[in-house]
Amino acid sequence: MMAGVNRLPAPFGAWIDRTEKIAFTFEGKEIEGFRGDTIASALLANGQTMISRSFKYHRPRSVLTMAGQDSNTLVQVGDEPNCLADKRRIEPGLKVEGQNYVGSFEDDKGRFTELVERFLPVGFYYKSFHEQKTSWKAWEPIIRRMAGLGKADLAADFHHSYYDKQYLFADVAVIGGGPAGMVAALAAAGGSAEVILIDEGAELGGSLCYARFNADGTHGSLTRAELDAAIRAKRNIRVLDGAVCTGLFSDNWLPVIKDNRLYKLRAKAIVAATGSIEQPSVFRNNDLPGVMFASAAQRLIRLYGVRPGHRAVVLAANDDGYGAALDLLDAGIAVTAMADLRREVPSNELTRSVRRAGVEIIAGHAIREAIAGPGKARITGAIAAPVAGEGTLAAGDRRLECDLILMAVGYSPAGQLLHHAGTRFAYDGASHMYRPDALPPHLFAAGSVNQAYALDAALADGRRAGWLAARDAGFSAGAEPPAPADPGAVGVTHPWPIFPHDKGMDFVDFDEDLKYKDLINGIADGYDNVELLKRYSTVGMGPSQGKHSAVAAVRIVARETGESLDRMSVTTQRPPYTPEKFGHMAGRVFEPGRRTAMHHRHLELGAQMMPAGMWWRPAYYGPKSERDKTIPAEVTVVRNNVGLIDVSTLGGLDVRGPDAAEFLNRMYTFSYAKQQVGRCRYVLMTDNAGVVTDDGVAVRFHDEHFYVTATTSGVDVVYRQMLWWNAQWRLDVDVANVTAAYAGVNIAGPKSRAVLQRVCDGVDLSAQAFPYMGAAMAEVAGIPARIMRVGFVGELGYEIHVPASQGEALWDALMAAGGQEGIRPFGVEAQRVLRLEKGHIIVSQDTDGLTSVWEADMAWAVAKTKPFFVGGRSAEIQAKTPLTRKLVGFTMANDADPCPEECHLVLKGEEIVGRVTSAVRSPSLNKVVGLAYVHPSDGEPGKQFDIKVAGGRRIIGVVTKHPFYDPENKRQEM
Amino acid sequence: MKLMNCPLNGPRNISEFAWGGEVKPMPDPATLGDRAWGDWLFLENNEAGVVREWWCHVPTSFWFIAERNTVTDDILRTYPAGDIFKERVNFAPKPKTTGAEKK
Amino acid sequence: MVPALLPYKLLPYGFRRKYRPQRFIPKQKDLKSTYDVVIIGGGGHALACAYYLARDHGITDVCILEKGYLAGGNTARNTAIIRSNYLTPEGVRFYEQSLKLYRDLSQDFDFNILYSERGHFTLAHTDAAVRTSRWRAEVNKQLGVDSELIFPDEIHRLCPHLSMSDHVRYPILGALYHPPGSIARHDAVAWGYARGATALGAEVHQQTPVSGILIENGTVKGVETPRGRVYANKVMQAVAGSTSVVAKMAGFRLPIRTIPLQACVSVPLKPFLDQIIVSGSLHVYVSQSSRGELVMGGSTDPYGLYSTRSTLDFKEGLLGHMLELLPMLGEVKILRQWAGMADMTPDFSPVMGLTPVKNYYIDSGWGTWGFKATPVCGMTMAHTIATDTPHDLIKPFYLDRFVDYAQVGEKGAASVGH
Repeated sequence: MMAGVNRLPAPFGAWIDRTEKIAFTFEGKEIEGFRGDTIASALLANGQTMISRSFKYHRPRSVLTMAGQDSNTLVQVGDEPNCLADKRRIEPGLKVEGQNYVGSFEDDKGRFTELVERFLPVGFYYKSFHEQKTSWKAWEPIIRRMAGLGKADLAADFHHSYYDKQYLFADVAVIGGGPAGMVAALAAAGGSAEVILIDEGAELGGSLCYARFNADGTHGSLTRAELDAAIRAKRNIRVLDGAVCTGLFSDNWLPVIKDNRLYKLRAKAIVAATGSIEQPSVFRNNDLPGVMFASAAQRLIRLYGVRPGHRAVVLAANDDGYGAALDLLDAGIAVTAMADLRREVPSNELTRSVRRAGVEIIAGHAIREAIAGPGKARITGAIAAPVAGEGTLAAGDRRLECDLILMAVGYSPAGQLLHHAGTRFAYDGASHMYRPDALPPHLFAAGSVNQAYALDAALADGRRAGWLAARDAGFSAGAEPPAPADPGAVGVTHPWPIFPHDKGMDFVDFDEDLKYKDLINGIADGYDNVELLKRYSTVGMGPSQGKHSAVAAVRIVARETGESLDRMSVTTQRPPYTPEKFGHMAGRVFEPGRRTAMHHRHLELGAQMMPAGMWWRPAYYGPKSERDKTIPAEVTVVRNNVGLIDVSTLGGLDVRGPDAAEFLNRMYTFSYAKQQVGRCRYVLMTDNAGVVTDDGVAVRFHDEHFYVTATTSGVDVVYRQMLWWNAQWRLDVDVANVTAAYAGVNIAGPKSRAVLQRVCDGVDLSAQAFPYMGAAMAEVAGIPARIMRVGFVGELGYEIHVPASQGEALWDALMAAGGQEGIRPFGVEAQRVLRLEKGHIIVSQDTDGLTSVWEADMAWAVAKTKPFFVGGRSAEIQAKTPLTRKLVGFTMANDADPCPEECHLVLKGEEIVGRVTSAVRSPSLNKVVGLAYVHPSDGEPGKQFDIKVAGGRRIIGVVTKHPFYDPENKRQEM
Repeated sequence: MKLMNCPLNGPRNISEFAWGGEVKPMPDPATLGDRAWGDWLFLENNEAGVVREWWCHVPTSFWFIAERNTVTDDILRTYPAGDIFKERVNFAPKPKTTGAEKK
Repeated sequence: MVPALLPYKLLPYGFRRKYRPQRFIPKQKDLKSTYDVVIIGGGGHALACAYYLARDHGITDVCILEKGYLAGGNTARNTAIIRSNYLTPEGVRFYEQSLKLYRDLSQDFDFNILYSERGHFTLAHTDAAVRTSRWRAEVNKQLGVDSELIFPDEIHRLCPHLSMSDHVRYPILGALYHPPGSIARHDAVAWGYARGATALGAEVHQQTPVSGILIENGTVKGVETPRGRVYANKVMQAVAGSTSVVAKMAGFRLPIRTIPLQACVSVPLKPFLDQIIVSGSLHVYVSQSSRGELVMGGSTDPYGLYSTRSTLDFKEGLLGHMLELLPMLGEVKILRQWAGMADMTPDFSPVMGLTPVKNYYIDSGWGTWGFKATPVCGMTMAHTIATDTPHDLIKPFYLDRFVDYAQVGEKGAASVGH
């Protein structure tokens, strides 16, 4: 079976399964491939050579690497933009489209940009479009439309795609399953070390799967089979194939992406056997379909059974080009000629075989130009010319017929992961490559990334690195294997495969459509080091992140500036190695929310829930449409009858020990030494800079036991601060955060005593026996409880804290007990109104990140004679400086004025002197009451101040002593 | 993800820890001048190099000391706070005249 | 795009046979032994300061010493957002002046900085955040800055891609909408200033670190470098990320902690997101650049460090939240991540002006908000250096405000949002 005109027969196509045809569409056309095909291999098999359009000039582009390393084959796959067509496997029904075109893919109007290329020099957008202040406004949308490649599918819903995460652990992680990596894994697993081997390919083997190591081409596959069997036989090697490691982070933390999962792998030691990346030759039209790396053609032929062309010219500067030529011949592809940059072509098994096959070898020649066919959709020939000097060609052009040019002029180590870990690279003048120099601890490099290019050398280097990594992880077996004697790095990479053309289109960076002269001109503009040039010209900033342009850019800068390559480095490589989907990074988004023990009761009662710190709390009980009626109704019930609120989210801290009172004295502004057992006292916390940070109540249940409440969102910080201070003070005290251990309610209102008494045994709740600010441990409805008579809302009320497991039972018991009084639950919104009627502040609403106790008018809560409290020294200093604002209660001068919103400004003339922090039209008093910061000179009751409300209107507030409601506090003390 | 060796819990991902800043023991606030107090409170050494810092293992609320290189991101040593703070700290009672008085 | 429609400035490039380069800075000269003013640091702020010293004060004998390459520090690493919707009147006035200068920079420089008004949305997901948004909106409006608190219907109308779902952990309750919020090409801003400053006589010396500061009797006399001693009448440091280290050479400490701030970009997409979206609660901000990349970041790292290393957990957290806001981006890919250094102050406002050392000036504490202040920093620091008196706009940002308990609290407007 042969799906496609360019399909080669078996045994070509090791990775495709010819028994299973798969149909998909490209640009609406139905395409048929085999299982195992990538989008790119299936398209090429069917004669569809153009796969994408380039970024700037919309030039046709096609396969360059077949390894997912370039951006010449980026396509849109359904809702996925910028998908690597040479990596992504086809699936039935896949909808594939080209990217970055205007009109149609074939007849892309965007290609006319190339006609004005001369007018768009490097950095042209900095040089123009700003002629008048308005001209950029006109140009920008046009230029903006040109930007970008793929399209985000704005109708897509992330939740349709499933991504998850998994932790993995290994003694040794080997990244890259080529020859070096396979041997490294085996060497590392020689003892009992747990080894994970990660490889991008569908099968292990790397270059063993496609490259030609000897004349008959069998050496690679035999070696691969042998190593693969050995690895499969090892129970302590786990293979993750089809997986890509995208980064190398601190302490050997590796993200590995496979299918829809992000693995986070922690390894004791790592072997990076990541191979190397073929580097292009720069010549005119080196970007067009038909020009590709030798390794790409070999991958197409051997892995996918696809004929990359019919007639080829191979541009070589190393023996690998000859191996590729033999592969072409095996596949029945004519080889017009080999152009070899080297003056002398070495005589060896591969070169001799090519010669024997009758292929002309033109030594000392480069490609000057690829000849573009119609619409530049395919090349139709090559011009070869003699190399005269570094980057210069002599006369003597030869036209060579071909529709395929293979480039085999050198490599650059795939050192991205090593870069992430901070490895230094040094230029090696003999191999003309940057090689890893000093590796960080626990990290080892093996194979061609480490300059071991010859197969034997790669195997030996893998053995050495695997053994060292295992030893580093604490597993040692046998003697240390030697490093390869000759890594074979010399002679594989040409130092200057760059042949600029007078007519341009000689691309250094395919992603960004940067030609040779763009870099030269950028340097001439003064951007004469690689980092500046990168930023100015954008070389290396595209989707492949300089994998094929970074080294060329360094060479060009070095030559133009006369700087030595030894003293330069490629621009910093940053993660990820290859683009990562947002979905992979996000995984299943878990946003924890805390629910109280009574959560379901609130829902049953129709509560609207709102977030409060990490918690969900009832805002009010009833439909949203009834909000404005419900909240005042809840307020009224508390004022006149009895209400019940869930206060479980309130922070709770048990402070125990002989120094408990001394500890609170230091942590809070008030004094606790003389607080009686069975009594509550207000607590106000400041930080060391004197800023109000939290408040609550301290209940003394025993000489050596205080139960301290803290705000819902503040308790964790309060607790942590307490422990931090006592790590220094060494007081004999133990602090436990018991917030989650207790559920709590506040039953409030004139009838609360009657209701509570009904379910409360063994406690005298009378005003005399259990006065305001009293506390006791007792049973409520048979549940052991901490009862505190405190009143945030300003009515007779009891706060009851019980073990969280009993919270729902407590709620039910009180709701039942209050049935005849018409008890009603109330939410956070009603509570806010109730407390404001009483003039109680909410820390963080009525205070901000700089509020002092003096500004908050809380001097009454500061004990002046204590030896020390946190913030006390700062408060002393603050007390000496004149206040700039003061928190006051206010009502409106004109009753008809609207209620200001929180954070409407208080002005003095045009100057901002403060703001309203809380304001509400009080249902109990039927007038506006609020708190505001005003100028200190306006801080006394009766003073008036301006509030700027919606629409810029000013209304007048009057400073009013609070509590606004029940100023004598009789109700909470009844 | 870095690992940090908690003196109480052993090596854990650094995301489990909260940074508490430089260890700078508090001078006696009673005898320190206003300016010196402000300097102590606000100014940081912010050393590029080895620093001694407070860290807290959040799930167990355990505070300890870490020595760290802020240039290389290496954690050099961790130990309990008690290794430095050995004695109970006491504050002398305030003389009656210097109470914090609001102006 | 057709030739007839090209701006005239590009025409010579097409019609001339040979490219005529326009060097943005002259080739590096020998370092002199004496200058009127030495500026330590070669980032945007330093270059802007040199430009305004020359342009507004006629001080051209200025030497900029950069330890690495020009504008290669935080100027190169920020996410290029410009806005003035701060919380304090001091902050709003200062950044509003910066915006005014920004709008004219392309013409001032004859170098297009790609300044682009996009509209800036700070999303509020809690009652407290809605309150802070209103506070900022009210302060902004009072000072003539265009800001408004808007609610879900309006947010949806203006940013149709944002998920307004109620069924997420942090539903969007409101937003501070600041229409003048902009982006610009960050490198171009620095290059434009460099070009302007050097054209007027300032010198830029790259790869020239300062290794010591010469002080006699409490007055600065010059600096030490590996290329020799350089004397100067006045010295300024503008070295975000190395602020405390350089200040230590001058003998004083600062209320600054240096903490990495990370960011990342996506593979380029066809433009669809015109606005700048920020969420403080979700620690996310995003805009789409002129290249089509989504530029994204969050809050500063959890601990202090002088290293621009990247982390995986940053991406995991950021993109988890990103997909709550823009759920359709699940299949979009991250191209590159990086980090910059943020010099954080306790009140999230800068530290600028005079120092304990006479004739030594500081421009520091730029946390995560330095880029947007580049022009106004240059202008006000130039004034401060030229007159030895802090410019009115930066008086509130004086170093001793901390010991004076007179902080300028910007945490509510600066912690995420950049």
